[in-house]
Amino acid sequence: MADIVRKHVVSVEGQTVRERLQAMDDSAVVTEFLGGEERAFSELVTRYQTRLLNFIYRTIGDREKAEDLVQEVFIRVYRHLHRFDRSKKFSTWVYTIASNLAKNELRNRSRNPLVLFQTVQKNFQDEDRPLQFEDTTSRPDDMYRKRHLREIVEETVAKLPEHHRNVFVLRELEGKSYEEIAEITECNLGTVKSRLNRARNPFAEIIAPYVD
Amino acid sequence: MDCREFCDQHLAFVDDTLAGIELVRMQRHMAECESCAKHDAKIRRALLLFRNLPSIEPSANFSHRLEARLKECQTEQLVHSQRNLRLGAIAATLASAIMLGYISMTLHNQTGVAPDLVMPPVVATIPESESLTPSAMMTSVSAGLTIWPAALFAEQVPVRFAHSQLELTNYTR
Repeated sequence: MADIVRKHVVSVEGQTVRERLQAMDDSAVVTEFLGGEERAFSELVTRYQTRLLNFIYRTIGDREKAEDLVQEVFIRVYRHLHRFDRSKKFSTWVYTIASNLAKNELRNRSRNPLVLFQTVQKNFQDEDRPLQFEDTTSRPDDMYRKRHLREIVEETVAKLPEHHRNVFVLRELEGKSYEEIAEITECNLGTVKSRLNRARNPFAEIIAPYVD
Repeated sequence: MDCREFCDQHLAFVDDTLAGIELVRMQRHMAECESCAKHDAKIRRALLLFRNLPSIEPSANFSHRLEARLKECQTEQLVHSQRNLRLGAIAATLASAIMLGYISMTLHNQTGVAPDLVMPPVVATIPESESLTPSAMMTSVSAGLTIWPAALFAEQVPVRFAHSQLELTNYTR
Protein backbone atom coordinates (compact mmCIF):
# COMPACT_ATOMS: atom_id res chain seq x y z
CA MET A 1 0.00 0.00 0.00
CA ALA A 2 2.79 2.38 1.02
CA ASP A 3 4.56 1.50 -2.20
CA ILE A 4 1.52 2.45 -4.28
CA VAL A 5 1.15 5.72 -2.40
CA ARG A 6 4.85 6.51 -2.89
CA LYS A 7 4.61 5.77 -6.62
CA HIS A 8 1.54 7.98 -6.88
CA VAL A 9 3.28 10.82 -5.06
CA VAL A 10 6.33 10.51 -7.30
CA SER A 11 4.22 10.53 -10.46
CA VAL A 12 2.19 13.48 -9.24
CA GLU A 13 5.42 15.27 -8.29
CA GLY A 14 6.94 14.47 -11.69
CA GLN A 15 3.90 15.76 -13.48
CA THR A 16 3.91 18.91 -11.41
CA VAL A 17 7.53 19.63 -12.21
CA ARG A 18 6.90 19.10 -15.93
CA GLU A 19 3.85 21.31 -15.86
CA ARG A 20 5.70 23.93 -13.87
CA LEU A 21 8.52 23.87 -16.44
CA GLN A 22 6.05 24.13 -19.31
CA ALA A 23 4.55 27.24 -17.78
CA MET A 24 7.94 28.93 -17.40
CA ASP A 25 9.67 31.15 -19.94
CA ASP A 26 13.01 30.07 -21.43
CA SER A 27 15.08 32.09 -19.02
CA ALA A 28 13.43 30.48 -15.98
CA VAL A 29 13.84 26.99 -17.48
CA VAL A 30 17.54 27.69 -18.01
CA THR A 31 17.83 28.81 -14.39
CA GLU A 32 16.12 25.60 -13.27
CA PHE A 33 18.56 23.50 -15.31
CA LEU A 34 21.56 25.32 -13.94
CA GLY A 35 20.11 24.79 -10.49
CA GLY A 36 20.35 21.02 -11.05
CA GLU A 37 16.90 20.20 -12.50
CA GLU A 38 17.84 17.86 -15.38
CA ARG A 39 14.25 17.71 -16.66
CA ALA A 40 14.52 21.38 -17.57
CA PHE A 41 16.83 20.45 -20.43
CA SER A 42 14.20 18.10 -21.87
CA GLU A 43 11.79 21.00 -21.78
CA LEU A 44 14.21 23.13 -23.80
CA VAL A 45 14.65 20.29 -26.30
CA THR A 46 10.88 19.90 -26.65
CA ARG A 47 10.49 23.63 -27.25
CA TYR A 48 13.21 24.01 -29.85
CA GLN A 49 13.76 20.72 -31.69
CA THR A 50 11.15 21.19 -34.42
CA ARG A 51 11.84 24.90 -34.89
CA LEU A 52 15.58 24.33 -35.17
CA LEU A 53 15.11 21.35 -37.47
CA ASN A 54 12.99 23.41 -39.87
CA PHE A 55 15.36 26.35 -39.73
CA ILE A 56 18.44 24.25 -40.44
CA TYR A 57 16.67 22.14 -43.05
CA ARG A 58 15.51 25.23 -44.95
CA THR A 59 19.03 26.61 -44.76
CA ILE A 60 21.02 23.57 -45.84
CA GLY A 61 18.36 21.54 -47.69
CA ASP A 62 19.38 18.14 -46.30
CA ARG A 63 17.00 16.64 -43.78
CA GLU A 64 19.28 13.96 -42.36
CA LYS A 65 22.16 16.34 -41.91
CA ALA A 66 19.77 18.89 -40.42
CA GLU A 67 18.83 16.39 -37.70
CA ASP A 68 22.50 15.76 -36.93
CA LEU A 69 23.10 19.47 -36.67
CA VAL A 70 20.11 19.97 -34.37
CA GLN A 71 21.57 17.30 -32.11
CA GLU A 72 24.89 19.10 -32.21
CA VAL A 73 23.14 22.34 -31.22
CA PHE A 74 21.65 20.68 -28.14
CA ILE A 75 24.96 19.09 -27.19
CA ARG A 76 26.64 22.49 -27.36
CA VAL A 77 23.83 24.07 -25.37
CA TYR A 78 24.19 21.35 -22.74
CA ARG A 79 27.94 21.80 -22.49
CA HIS A 80 28.03 25.57 -22.46
CA LEU A 81 24.77 26.62 -20.84
CA HIS A 82 26.65 27.75 -17.73
CA ARG A 83 28.45 30.29 -19.94
CA PHE A 84 25.24 31.69 -21.44
CA ASP A 85 24.69 35.35 -20.63
CA ARG A 86 21.27 35.27 -19.02
CA SER A 87 20.67 38.94 -19.65
CA LYS A 88 20.15 37.96 -23.31
CA LYS A 89 17.43 35.93 -24.99
CA PHE A 90 17.95 32.19 -24.92
CA SER A 91 16.30 31.69 -28.31
CA THR A 92 18.72 34.15 -29.94
CA TRP A 93 21.66 32.25 -28.48
CA VAL A 94 20.32 28.89 -29.67
CA TYR A 95 19.63 30.23 -33.16
CA THR A 96 23.11 31.75 -33.30
CA ILE A 97 24.62 28.32 -32.61
CA ALA A 98 22.32 26.72 -35.20
CA SER A 99 23.05 29.40 -37.78
CA ASN A 100 26.81 29.01 -37.33
CA LEU A 101 26.61 25.24 -37.64
CA ALA A 102 24.51 25.54 -40.80
CA LYS A 103 26.99 28.03 -42.24
CA ASN A 104 29.90 25.70 -41.47
CA GLU A 105 28.06 22.83 -43.12
CA LEU A 106 27.50 24.84 -46.29
CA ARG A 107 31.13 25.97 -46.28
CA ASN A 108 32.37 22.39 -45.88
CA ARG A 109 30.10 21.26 -48.69
CA SER A 110 31.41 23.85 -51.07
CA ARG A 111 34.95 22.75 -50.24
CA ASN A 112 34.20 19.06 -50.61
CA PRO A 113 32.57 18.17 -53.95
CA LEU A 114 31.95 14.58 -52.83
CA VAL A 115 29.71 15.72 -49.96
CA LEU A 116 27.88 18.04 -52.38
CA PHE A 117 27.32 15.17 -54.79
CA GLN A 118 26.04 12.88 -52.01
CA THR A 119 23.61 15.57 -50.86
CA VAL A 120 22.30 16.11 -54.37
CA GLN A 121 21.91 12.36 -54.83
CA LYS A 122 20.11 12.02 -51.49
CA ASN A 123 17.71 14.81 -52.35
CA PHE A 124 17.09 13.19 -55.71
CA GLN A 125 16.19 9.93 -53.98
CA ASP A 126 13.93 11.85 -51.60
CA GLU A 127 11.89 13.02 -54.56
CA ASP A 128 11.14 9.40 -55.44
CA ARG A 129 9.60 8.73 -52.05
CA PRO A 130 5.80 8.74 -51.64
CA LEU A 131 4.15 11.95 -50.50
CA GLN A 132 4.42 12.57 -46.81
CA PHE A 133 2.88 15.92 -46.12
CA GLU A 134 -0.12 16.25 -48.39
CA ASP A 135 -3.60 15.39 -47.40
CA THR A 136 -4.29 11.95 -48.94
CA THR A 137 -7.98 12.70 -49.27
CA SER A 138 -7.28 15.40 -51.87
CA ARG A 139 -7.76 14.78 -55.58
CA PRO A 140 -4.66 13.45 -57.39
CA ASP A 141 -4.28 16.53 -59.60
CA ASP A 142 -4.51 18.81 -56.56
CA MET A 143 -1.92 16.71 -54.77
CA TYR A 144 0.35 16.88 -57.77
CA ARG A 145 -0.06 20.63 -58.02
CA LYS A 146 0.62 21.10 -54.32
CA ARG A 147 3.65 18.87 -54.40
CA HIS A 148 4.97 20.57 -57.48
CA LEU A 149 4.49 23.99 -55.93
CA ARG A 150 6.17 22.92 -52.72
CA GLU A 151 9.15 21.68 -54.69
CA ILE A 152 9.34 24.93 -56.63
CA VAL A 153 9.28 26.94 -53.40
CA GLU A 154 11.96 24.77 -51.80
CA GLU A 155 14.15 24.91 -54.89
CA THR A 156 13.78 28.67 -55.13
CA VAL A 157 14.78 29.14 -51.50
CA ALA A 158 17.73 26.83 -52.01
CA LYS A 159 18.87 28.94 -54.97
CA LEU A 160 19.12 32.13 -52.90
CA PRO A 161 22.63 33.11 -51.85
CA GLU A 162 23.52 31.62 -48.47
CA HIS A 163 23.55 34.85 -46.45
CA HIS A 164 20.30 36.04 -48.05
CA ARG A 165 18.64 32.69 -47.44
CA ASN A 166 19.70 32.63 -43.79
CA VAL A 167 18.09 36.02 -43.12
CA PHE A 168 15.04 35.13 -45.22
CA VAL A 169 14.37 31.89 -43.32
CA LEU A 170 14.89 33.55 -39.94
CA ARG A 171 12.40 36.28 -40.81
CA GLU A 172 9.74 34.46 -42.81
CA LEU A 173 9.79 31.04 -41.18
CA GLU A 174 10.90 31.77 -37.65
CA GLY A 175 9.32 35.21 -37.40
CA LYS A 176 12.42 36.78 -35.84
CA SER A 177 12.65 40.54 -35.54
CA TYR A 178 15.26 42.47 -37.52
CA GLU A 179 17.21 43.09 -34.31
CA GLU A 180 17.27 39.41 -33.40
CA ILE A 181 18.36 38.45 -36.91
CA ALA A 182 21.14 41.02 -36.69
CA GLU A 183 22.33 39.44 -33.47
CA ILE A 184 22.07 35.88 -34.75
CA THR A 185 23.83 36.57 -38.04
CA GLU A 186 26.25 39.07 -36.48
CA CYS A 187 25.36 41.77 -39.01
CA ASN A 188 24.11 45.29 -38.57
CA LEU A 189 20.46 46.20 -38.95
CA GLY A 190 20.93 47.82 -42.37
CA THR A 191 22.56 44.70 -43.75
CA VAL A 192 19.72 42.55 -42.45
CA LYS A 193 17.09 44.74 -44.14
CA SER A 194 19.04 44.89 -47.36
CA ARG A 195 19.55 41.10 -47.45
CA LEU A 196 15.91 40.48 -46.68
CA ASN A 197 14.80 42.79 -49.46
CA ARG A 198 17.24 41.15 -51.88
CA ALA A 199 15.95 37.72 -50.92
CA ARG A 200 12.24 38.57 -51.11
CA ASN A 201 12.22 40.17 -54.53
CA PRO A 202 13.89 37.41 -56.58
CA PHE A 203 12.00 34.76 -54.61
CA ALA A 204 8.68 36.40 -55.48
CA GLU A 205 9.75 36.87 -59.11
CA ILE A 206 10.43 33.15 -59.52
CA ILE A 207 7.33 32.02 -57.66
CA ALA A 208 4.88 34.46 -59.28
CA PRO A 209 4.24 32.49 -62.52
CA TYR A 210 3.30 29.40 -60.51
CA VAL A 211 0.92 31.28 -58.23
CA ASP A 212 -1.00 33.28 -60.83
CA MET B 1 4.95 59.27 -53.04
CA ASP B 2 6.61 57.91 -56.14
CA CYS B 3 7.23 54.26 -57.10
CA ARG B 4 10.86 54.36 -56.02
CA GLU B 5 9.97 55.52 -52.53
CA PHE B 6 7.27 52.84 -52.43
CA CYS B 7 9.82 50.13 -53.27
CA ASP B 8 12.26 51.49 -50.68
CA GLN B 9 9.66 51.30 -47.94
CA HIS B 10 8.05 48.09 -49.08
CA LEU B 11 10.03 45.84 -46.71
CA ALA B 12 8.77 47.75 -43.68
CA PHE B 13 5.29 47.94 -45.24
CA VAL B 14 5.03 44.15 -45.55
CA ASP B 15 6.45 43.66 -42.06
CA ASP B 16 4.05 46.21 -40.52
CA THR B 17 6.81 48.32 -39.07
CA LEU B 18 5.88 51.59 -40.76
CA ALA B 19 4.60 54.57 -38.86
CA GLY B 20 0.91 55.45 -39.29
CA ILE B 21 1.41 58.34 -41.72
CA GLU B 22 3.79 56.37 -43.91
CA LEU B 23 1.39 53.46 -43.94
CA VAL B 24 -1.41 55.67 -45.23
CA ARG B 25 0.88 57.14 -47.91
CA MET B 26 1.85 53.64 -49.07
CA GLN B 27 -1.77 52.55 -49.24
CA ARG B 28 -2.72 55.70 -51.13
CA HIS B 29 0.09 55.09 -53.63
CA MET B 30 -1.05 51.49 -54.15
CA ALA B 31 -4.55 52.69 -54.88
CA GLU B 32 -3.16 55.01 -57.55
CA CYS B 33 -0.38 52.87 -59.03
CA GLU B 34 -1.38 49.52 -60.49
CA SER B 35 2.20 48.37 -61.01
CA CYS B 36 3.11 48.87 -57.33
CA ALA B 37 -0.11 47.20 -56.23
CA LYS B 38 0.82 44.18 -58.37
CA HIS B 39 4.34 44.15 -56.93
CA ASP B 40 2.92 44.17 -53.41
CA ALA B 41 0.51 41.33 -54.17
CA LYS B 42 3.27 39.28 -55.79
CA ILE B 43 5.55 39.57 -52.77
CA ARG B 44 2.82 38.85 -50.26
CA ARG B 45 1.58 35.76 -52.13
CA ALA B 46 5.07 34.32 -52.47
CA LEU B 47 5.81 34.87 -48.79
CA LEU B 48 2.51 33.30 -47.81
CA LEU B 49 3.44 30.25 -49.81
CA PHE B 50 6.82 29.97 -48.14
CA ARG B 51 5.38 30.47 -44.66
CA ASN B 52 2.86 27.72 -45.29
CA LEU B 53 5.41 25.11 -46.27
CA PRO B 54 4.71 21.97 -44.27
CA SER B 55 6.80 21.77 -41.13
CA ILE B 56 9.06 18.77 -40.80
CA GLU B 57 9.19 16.84 -37.55
CA PRO B 58 12.21 15.13 -36.00
CA SER B 59 12.46 11.42 -36.81
CA ALA B 60 11.29 8.78 -34.34
CA ASN B 61 14.76 7.95 -33.04
CA PHE B 62 15.81 11.58 -32.67
CA SER B 63 15.14 11.69 -28.92
CA HIS B 64 16.89 8.36 -28.27
CA ARG B 65 19.94 9.43 -30.21
CA LEU B 66 20.05 12.76 -28.41
CA GLU B 67 19.62 11.06 -25.05
CA ALA B 68 22.50 8.71 -25.80
CA ARG B 69 24.73 11.59 -26.86
CA LEU B 70 23.81 13.60 -23.78
CA LYS B 71 24.70 10.63 -21.57
CA GLU B 72 28.07 10.39 -23.33
CA CYS B 73 28.50 14.09 -22.74
CA GLN B 74 27.65 13.70 -19.04
CA THR B 75 30.16 10.85 -18.69
CA GLU B 76 32.82 12.94 -20.42
CA GLN B 77 32.15 15.83 -18.09
CA LEU B 78 32.25 13.52 -15.07
CA VAL B 79 35.55 11.97 -16.16
CA HIS B 80 36.94 15.42 -16.84
CA SER B 81 35.92 16.75 -13.45
CA GLN B 82 37.28 13.61 -11.70
CA ARG B 83 40.56 14.00 -13.54
CA ASN B 84 40.74 17.62 -12.45
CA LEU B 85 39.93 16.58 -8.89
CA ARG B 86 42.65 13.92 -8.96
CA LEU B 87 45.19 16.34 -10.36
CA GLY B 88 44.24 18.83 -7.67
CA ALA B 89 44.65 16.21 -4.96
CA ILE B 90 48.08 15.22 -6.30
CA ALA B 91 49.17 18.83 -6.45
CA ALA B 92 47.94 19.45 -2.91
CA THR B 93 49.77 16.33 -1.60
CA LEU B 94 52.98 17.40 -3.29
CA ALA B 95 52.70 20.91 -1.98
CA SER B 96 52.05 19.72 1.57
CA ALA B 97 55.00 17.27 1.37
CA ILE B 98 57.30 20.07 0.23
CA MET B 99 55.97 22.33 2.97
CA LEU B 100 56.49 19.64 5.63
CA GLY B 101 60.02 19.01 4.39
CA TYR B 102 60.81 22.68 4.54
CA ILE B 103 59.37 23.04 8.04
CA SER B 104 61.26 20.01 9.33
CA MET B 105 64.52 21.29 7.86
CA THR B 106 63.99 24.68 9.42
CA LEU B 107 63.24 23.13 12.79
CA HIS B 108 66.31 20.90 12.53
CA ASN B 109 68.52 23.87 11.74
CA GLN B 110 67.16 25.82 14.71
CA THR B 111 67.54 23.03 17.27
CA GLY B 112 70.82 21.49 16.05
CA VAL B 113 74.45 22.62 17.00
CA ALA B 114 75.65 25.40 14.83
CA PRO B 115 78.34 24.09 12.50
CA ASP B 116 81.77 25.75 12.23
CA LEU B 117 81.80 28.72 10.02
CA VAL B 118 83.55 27.80 6.85
CA MET B 119 84.42 30.54 4.48
CA PRO B 120 84.34 29.82 0.81
CA PRO B 121 87.73 29.66 -0.85
CA VAL B 122 88.89 32.92 -2.35
CA VAL B 123 90.73 33.02 -5.60
CA ALA B 124 92.78 36.18 -5.83
CA THR B 125 94.53 37.38 -8.90
CA ILE B 126 97.16 40.06 -9.23
CA PRO B 127 95.84 42.81 -11.42
CA GLU B 128 97.80 43.27 -14.54
CA SER B 129 99.92 46.41 -14.35
CA GLU B 130 99.22 49.12 -16.78
CA SER B 131 102.11 49.58 -19.07
CA LEU B 132 103.22 53.01 -20.04
CA THR B 133 102.87 53.51 -23.67
CA PRO B 134 105.97 55.32 -24.81
CA SER B 135 104.43 56.10 -28.18
CA ALA B 136 101.70 58.15 -26.53
CA MET B 137 104.29 60.06 -24.61
CA MET B 138 106.38 60.60 -27.69
CA THR B 139 103.38 61.80 -29.66
CA SER B 140 102.57 64.43 -27.15
CA VAL B 141 106.17 65.56 -26.99
CA SER B 142 106.65 65.75 -30.73
CA ALA B 143 103.41 67.65 -31.19
CA GLY B 144 104.99 70.52 -29.32
CA LEU B 145 102.69 70.30 -26.39
CA THR B 146 103.79 70.90 -22.93
CA ILE B 147 105.39 68.12 -21.01
CA TRP B 148 102.39 67.78 -18.68
CA PRO B 149 100.90 64.68 -20.32
CA ALA B 150 104.13 62.84 -19.80
CA ALA B 151 104.21 63.98 -16.21
CA LEU B 152 100.69 62.70 -15.73
CA PHE B 153 101.72 59.36 -17.17
CA ALA B 154 104.65 59.29 -14.85
CA GLU B 155 102.31 59.77 -11.91
CA GLN B 156 100.32 56.77 -12.95
CA VAL B 157 103.20 54.42 -13.65
CA PRO B 158 103.87 51.58 -11.26
CA VAL B 159 106.41 51.75 -8.54
CA ARG B 160 109.09 50.07 -10.60
CA PHE B 161 109.03 53.05 -12.91
CA ALA B 162 109.96 55.27 -10.00
CA HIS B 163 112.87 53.05 -9.31
CA SER B 164 114.32 53.91 -12.64
CA GLN B 165 115.45 57.16 -11.08
CA LEU B 166 113.12 59.26 -13.08
CA GLU B 167 112.69 62.50 -11.24
CA LEU B 168 109.42 64.34 -11.78
CA THR B 169 111.08 67.61 -11.10
CA ASN B 170 113.50 67.13 -13.97
CA TYR B 171 110.64 67.05 -16.39
CA THR B 172 109.09 70.17 -15.14
CA ARG B 173 112.25 72.25 -15.46
